[in-house]
Order: sequence, then C-alpha cells, then structure tokens
Amino acid sequence: MSIALLAGPPGGQGMESLSPHQQRLGALPAVPPALIDSIERSNLRGKGGAGFPVAIKWRSVASQPGGAPVVLANGGEGEPLSRKDRMLMEQRPHLVIDGAMLAAGAVGADEIVLYVGADHVGAIQAMHRAMTERTASERARLRLVSAPVRYVSGEETAAVHFINDGIALPTSIPPRPFERGIDGRPTLIQNVETLAHVALIARFGDDWYRSLGTGNASGTTLVTVGGAVPQTVLIEIPQGMALADAVNAAGGITSDSDAVLLGGYFGGWVESSTAWGLPLDADALRQLGYSLGCGVVAVLPAGRCGVVETARILAYLAHESARQCGPCTFGLRAISAAAGRVAALTPTPGDLEHIQRWAGVLAGRGACRHPDGAAGLVASALRVFAAEFQLHEHDRRCSVASLAVAAS
Amino acid sequence: MSSQLLWYTTRGAGAVSLVLLSAVAVLGLLARLRFESRGWPRFLSAAVHGDLALMTVVFLVLHIVTAVVDPFTHLGLAALVPFGSYYRTLWLGLGAIAFELLLAIVATSLLRRYIGARVWRAIHWLAYVSWPVAVLHGIGTGTDRTALWMVAIDVVCVAAVAVALIWRVLVAPPDPLADERRLAAERASFGTGR
Repeated sequence: MSIALLAGPPGGQGMESLSPHQQRLGALPAVPPALIDSIERSNLRGKGGAGFPVAIKWRSVASQPGGAPVVLANGGEGEPLSRKDRMLMEQRPHLVIDGAMLAAGAVGADEIVLYVGADHVGAIQAMHRAMTERTASERARLRLVSAPVRYVSGEETAAVHFINDGIALPTSIPPRPFERGIDGRPTLIQNVETLAHVALIARFGDDWYRSLGTGNASGTTLVTVGGAVPQTVLIEIPQGMALADAVNAAGGITSDSDAVLLGGYFGGWVESSTAWGLPLDADALRQLGYSLGCGVVAVLPAGRCGVVETARILAYLAHESARQCGPCTFGLRAISAAAGRVAALTPTPGDLEHIQRWAGVLAGRGACRHPDGAAGLVASALRVFAAEFQLHEHDRRCSVASLAVAAS
Repeated sequence: MSSQLLWYTTRGAGAVSLVLLSAVAVLGLLARLRFESRGWPRFLSAAVHGDLALMTVVFLVLHIVTAVVDPFTHLGLAALVPFGSYYRTLWLGLGAIAFELLLAIVATSLLRRYIGARVWRAIHWLAYVSWPVAVLHGIGTGTDRTALWMVAIDVVCVAAVAVALIWRVLVAPPDPLADERRLAAERASFGTGR
C-alpha cells in the first residue's frame, strides 16, 4: 500500500533514480514564496519523535541573526525498532534531498548536511548515489555525514556536536541548534521523513496534502510495524488510520497480544484492547496522552512477558546513556538493574517501589531528553503490566514466559 | 540597646559571610577540578557550592540591612551604591561592589538553563573579583578588623582559597570528553565518519 512518499515503484527495487523521480513528480519547483505558510496549513509536524510543528521551527531559523543558516537532514535513526528513515532514504533519496533543498531555500541556508546512521549502509549508498545524480551546483551545497552507531547520535545537539567536533554526545542547552549550531550558525534540524513530506507539499499544495489524512488528520505518515506480525515492515498510512488497520496492512497479528509498544523505546506501552482503536495521528494521540514518537508500532507477541521486555529495553537505554549527567548515568542504571532483577524473578525487597519512585524523579534532569524518555516508558509499563510486576515481585512467578525464554 | 543589637548583627553576619563565601569559592574550584574521593562524590561539590552561595546571600542581606537601618551609623541607602557612602567611602564601596557582583553571579546561575553556558561562564569569572574585593572590605573596615579572632578567620579563609586556587592553576581538570576526542581524532585521521 503505497500512497504518497512511497508511491511509484514498489519497495525492494532499490532507489528511485533522478530521472524516474522527476518524470513521476515533476522537477523540483522553485521555493514557493509562501512555502512556510503552506506547511503551516498542512499541519506538518516533525517525524523524528518530538512532533514539533515544522512551520514554527522554520520561521525561527529564518529570523535568527548569526549568519547564513545550515540545514541538517537527520537520518541518524538510532531507534532500534524503527526502519522508516533508512528505508525511505534507500528507496526515495531524491525526495529527501528535494525537501532539504526546499528547506534551505525557505530559511536562506546555503549548506545542507545529510546525516545518516553509519550502520544504515543501504541508505548511505542510495543518498550518495542520489547526490552524484544532482547538478554540480546542487552537489556543492550537499554534504553526506555518517553518524556513529549510538542511540543518542540522532539527538539534535549531539548531531551538531559531532559535525563540529566529532563527538556525538548531547550538549547542554541553550544555545539550541536553531540559535547556534553547525559552525556556530543557526541550524535547522529536520528528520528526513519530514523533509520528504515537504517535497510533496511544495509540489501539490497543502489542500492536497490535508486530503490524504483520515477525518481531521492531515497527510500521511510512515510507520514501522513489528513484533507479532509476519515480519517487520514499513508502511505508509493516512494519518488518523486506526492502529488495528495499520497492523492488518502489515499482514495482521500472528498471535494474541496483550500490549502494544507505541512510539518506540521512548514511547509507551498501551493495552491492546485500547491500542487497536487508537488513531495513528500525532495530534490525536498527544491529546489522548500517548505519543506516535517516530512511528513505531510493536505488537507484544503471546508468550513474551511485558516485564521482561521492559527490563530489556531499560538495560539498552541505560547502556546507551551518554554518561554525562548524573541522574541519567546512575539513575537509569539503578532503575535498569532493579527492573532486571524483577524480570529475572530475583527481586530484592523494595525493587518495584524503587523503580516507581526513581522513574518519577528522572524526567527533566538531563541535558537531553534521554532520561525523560526512559521515565515515560517505565511509567507506562508499571500501568499496563501492573499485575505482572506484582506477580514477579511478590510470587516470583512469571505468567507468560519460562525463565529460559526470559533470559534468552 | 536595639542599636547595639543591630551593630552586633552587622559584625557577626559579616564574619559569617566571609567564611561562607570562602567556602563557596573553595567548593567552586573543587567542582571545576572534578574532585572526588571516597565519601565525597563529584556532584556534592557543585551542589553544596550552590546551596552555600544562596546562604551567603542571606547573611549578606542581614549584614547590609542591619548596617543600613542602624540609627547610629546613618549609612542610608547610599551605602548600596559603590563609593556612594560618606562613611569610609573606599571600604564600604568595595563591600558594595563585592555584594553586587555576587548577586549577578547567583542570579545568572539560577537562570543558567535560560541564558546558556557561555553567558553564565562569562559572568561567573567575576567570582575572581568578588571574593578578593570582599576580603579587602573586611580587612579594611569594621569594629573587629584587628581583633585576633577576626584576623584568624581572615587568614584561614585566604589560605584555604589560595591553596585551592594554586591547585586549580597547577592541575589541569580532567577532560570528561578525553576518550571521545581521541576517537574523533582517529576517525578524522582515517578519513571516515566525518
């Protein structure tokens, strides 16, 4: 099911080269004078996870003093459950470059950095080839940078830090990158999917874009569906589509499921009974207290324990901490250790209470939002898997998985 | 009697402020050196540094308010203006300068999240002016300035800050990003990753 970004030749055929790209969509239009207004009417939000309104960000960058801005197309995609950015770059690199060119034109930038995770080899190759297909004058403005394989590499300040100093660790704010970023210049950092949407809005208009969504929702969005489905797949859906329909479009569930992880490691667990009916629309989910994050829908398979999976994710997040801020370095490690003991049915007294209390004081205590994301995940897990956590701690029993499976 | 009480409070709060401010200076230098040992984790230097700085402001407000309202001294609000006081113009002027610099340093620290590290750091360098000027103010004026106990406090405070300062100058603080910088240099020399 391909509708907007992924329209054209089906995935699996490699990248769409420049000439078919231009034949299908027309040449890259000159930057429309009211592009930012058009983006505002299209209600496009950042697709990297935070969902910040794109038009507001572009206006801020365009009005910053401090020299010509830089555009950074963020394809770091450190989220382990997400595939959308790398697959978009593999299949439609010219859409991403078009969007970055339009962004540069709209904010007055003369340089574009394409920031791609070093392990996304296919994406790097496609972006590189796409660059060589561009005119010399376009190529001169483009720079391809491979991002270190590390969860925090894609964080905005970490990306700027890496490009400036070769160190992919978050820095404290302010200054925020839109004030002072790459080479000290105002820097517009936008996820690659977001830029690809802009390439279509600029061509076909915001009315067209809005009409792609379901109900009040606008446009389309890329979703990675994984877990209890035949295989992890990337699909493009009209925003507002029910989560159950997206899972069906991905091949349907392969087992019963009690919970869905929505939004990735920085998202949250949702009971399946609630999840199936949720509209996959960033705005609507936010109002309901959930987050679409970077568009991950991971269905917990039957026979897998939510407590064990949560502990596994927390161990990963604790390991991926940049170890710069105390609450993240030590707090996340302590929470992860306690969750690991509860998951392995070897809790020490007070573990569960500690997890609850520590997670409550983690948010807002780091230079970046790494601890906040982990805290949100813990809160959702304690809510959705409350009974299972109790069973693990008090009865030292797991209702779904044998220890052998849990430890694997 | 009440004017006596006010004057005693001025003197006491002044001496306490000197001790606190010197402790703040030493802890600030320790925090910059990323000092740690068993029983003294690194975050403690910065945390106590900040808390004691706030307490110093409280004692200095006490020190100044009691001096200004003291009917005997007739200092008036002009004493808050550097060199605006008729009485011991130089020494009170130094006190006013030290206090106002400290206020700027504390205020920018409380607002660091909003103003950014660069502005914060620039203002924080003024600590190297505020503390010595405050010490001079104490040595230059005050009923107790020649009393043995006050001289002893002065000596201990100056010695403590001097030792910390020498340590700070001689020992380069460890670079928390040392490993990352080495990796970055290696990546750059292989021509990859950048």
